Amino acid sequence: MYTLLSGLHEYLTRREEFYVIILGLDNAGKTTLLERIKSIFLGVVGLSPDRIAPTVGLNIGKIDINRARLNFWDLGGQRDLHGIWEKYYSECHAIVFVVDSTDKERIEECKEVFEKIITNDEVEGVPILMLANKQDLPNSLKVEEIKEIFNKIALKLGARDSRVLPISALEGTGVREAVDWLFVRLQRNKQNRPPTFK
Amino acid sequence: MGAILSRVLGRLWGEKEVRILILGLDGAGKTTILYRLQIGEVVTTIPTIGFNVETVTYKNIKFQVWDLGGQTSIRPYWRCYYANTDAVIYVVDSVDRDRMSTSKEELHAMLDEEELRDAALLVFANKQDMVGAMSAAEVSDALGLGTLKNRQWSIYKTSAVKGDGLTEGLDWLVNIIKGNEQ
Repeated sequence: MYTLLSGLHEYLTRREEFYVIILGLDNAGKTTLLERIKSIFLGVVGLSPDRIAPTVGLNIGKIDINRARLNFWDLGGQRDLHGIWEKYYSECHAIVFVVDSTDKERIEECKEVFEKIITNDEVEGVPILMLANKQDLPNSLKVEEIKEIFNKIALKLGARDSRVLPISALEGTGVREAVDWLFVRLQRNKQNRPPTFK
Repeated sequence: MGAILSRVLGRLWGEKEVRILILGLDGAGKTTILYRLQIGEVVTTIPTIGFNVETVTYKNIKFQVWDLGGQTSIRPYWRCYYANTDAVIYVVDSVDRDRMSTSKEELHAMLDEEELRDAALLVFANKQDMVGAMSAAEVSDALGLGTLKNRQWSIYKTSAVKGDGLTEGLDWLVNIIKGNEQ
């Protein structure tokens, strides 16, 4: 009887855990985004953007939505660190790809890197959210322009949920919408990538 | 009572003592790093049998830094110091390719310990002033840092004798520690 009850209790109180990796070129604003997510959802101050140094490793942020926990893995974006990304593919439930919308010179490089991610077998079917960051700057490419550029490789996305959204991690605009989008897709993709339970 | 009072006062003045362990194989440069951080100079060191402990104040945070000896025979004693550790600085000799796998084993054995579950990991790929030093990406690969999923980690190229990279690493630690406080 006790086992039954405690089992039931465990079942009722268990929490779904999802893992989301934040990728993108260096200086795209991944860590600034992570800090912004933390400040919006946890109500903490978060690191001020001028104190954020290039990431060479892994930053983690955890937020709770309803009864689910979203763990964000923010990985360093420098080219020689891209090999580390793949180590996190098999366990992730969604990918956020951050684009510096003001860096037109590196947009080709960005495309190349993005293509490499979406064609990796280990993340097949995993929802991908592309964030056109730095929309607070006047010279930034608009979402339509970004879409236009990436459209050519969109075919390779295969059968998965994907979306491009505008944000300013610095000012926080669009960040809540981005996380809401993710949350819905994580739930929808549960059959394909079941959450872990804690 | 006194302890509580000093804690409260410490909070008020923004002074917090953080416990850091410096670990790594023998000859990685742990003691050199400790004293570089503390007095800003290179000291002549001998292999550490036992430990060195110093307090380093950086950006208003008091770091209590324990440098534990790295020789095979004394590595089992590292665990005696794990309790209440906020972060581990793991030092690697980036030139010593032969012992990279040993270094990896020791690192993961250490991180498996329950008492270090919440400790952040800062890796110093040290001895970058020497020819043939492995890059940060190579060292992180050799140490299997990509297998760490529930721990914040970071790797910096350092040269303890030249003083390069150390403050960058510490800045990262300061951010992590301030983030955890909230």
